Amino acid sequence: MGAILNPLYSFVSGVIVLIHKALTPIFGFDSGVTWALSIVGLVVLIRIILIPLFVKQIKSQRALTALQPHMKAIQNKYKDDRQKQSEEMMKLYKEHKTNPLASCFPIIAQAPIFFALFTVLNGIAAKTDAGVSAPIARGFLKGEYLESAAQATFFGAKISQSFLGSTDTTVKIVTVILIFIMSATTFTTQRQLMVKGMPKMDASNNMMLQQQKIMLYLFPVIFAVSGVNFPVGVLIYWSTTNFWTWGQQFYVIKRNPTPGSPAYEELERKRKEKNKEENRDQSGTVIDPENTEPGQTGDVKGQRKQPKKKKKK
Amino acid sequence: MRRLIVAFINLYQKWISPAFPARCKYYPSCSSYAASAISHYGLRGVLMSIWRLMRCNPWSHGGVDYAVQPAKTFKNIEKTSVGVN
Repeated sequence: MGAILNPLYSFVSGVIVLIHKALTPIFGFDSGVTWALSIVGLVVLIRIILIPLFVKQIKSQRALTALQPHMKAIQNKYKDDRQKQSEEMMKLYKEHKTNPLASCFPIIAQAPIFFALFTVLNGIAAKTDAGVSAPIARGFLKGEYLESAAQATFFGAKISQSFLGSTDTTVKIVTVILIFIMSATTFTTQRQLMVKGMPKMDASNNMMLQQQKIMLYLFPVIFAVSGVNFPVGVLIYWSTTNFWTWGQQFYVIKRNPTPGSPAYEELERKRKEKNKEENRDQSGTVIDPENTEPGQTGDVKGQRKQPKKKKKK
Repeated sequence: MRRLIVAFINLYQKWISPAFPARCKYYPSCSSYAASAISHYGLRGVLMSIWRLMRCNPWSHGGVDYAVQPAKTFKNIEKTSVGVN
């Protein structure tokens, strides 16, 4: 086990110590800000490494547009048999060597890092049986770094302390706030995807929305139950990675939405409007049919476009 | 023991997985696969499930992959013991 875990500890602590070194001139060696940002930096590094996977997935999602007719045919053919429907859909993806689904990998890949960070931070907070602080050095977090990290605080709470492992009220308040942030970001991310990012679907989507309501209450409980065991530093990692996920999704929904989703329609509309603006600029005069009065042109083109204006305003 | 693990998987399917968009590249999903593999093969099923999870990665193309080939007559039993999704 050590053969697998030790490199992980070295990696996590190495990254943190490196970023800490880089930030020391700005915030100071013992500053909690330096330590907190070092953990944030670890998240940023991991998520940057994972970006190519994300891009790959988005690309194969876009490739689906070409398969749309096939998918419609399958849906119609197996209307009453959801099992058969999903089965045929998977066969189709495999045949065309494009699979829009993300797989669990991006989540599972983060788990060892998460676990290593948990162990490294818990090592900092370790105590002897008599209750005397006796930090355990893991990886590159040793010597003066270990001592400094053991004292580092995040909004007044030591980053190595957890809700259950501490009697400090500040630690309790900070962990509760972080757990709240984790729940809120998870929920917002899922909601954003449901409302804007996915093609409109039939009844199954209603079911999903129903489930969302359950999640709104259940997920904070799950996060709370696990979160009270985690050191503040791990909660910082978790919250930051949630923010990253949200931002990444926000960017994709805004700039490169899934065809058929509400966000896609909105973008199409904006593009059309932009094209119109450009037409106007090139000719120097208004050639937008919307702005020409019907009496002035009188031709079929002007009349046909007229209802569009009414609908819009 | 088998039942306990399958119960945990069912719990996941019912309460956790629906909160997120579908993400498994295979049919049936990794969790359904694991549930049926473990209830049929026990320890060997656990290894099968781990191998399945490893195969479900960004570089695979997914597809249809049953742990236990569904016989037509057993279809309904399969469904109730394993759960859909």
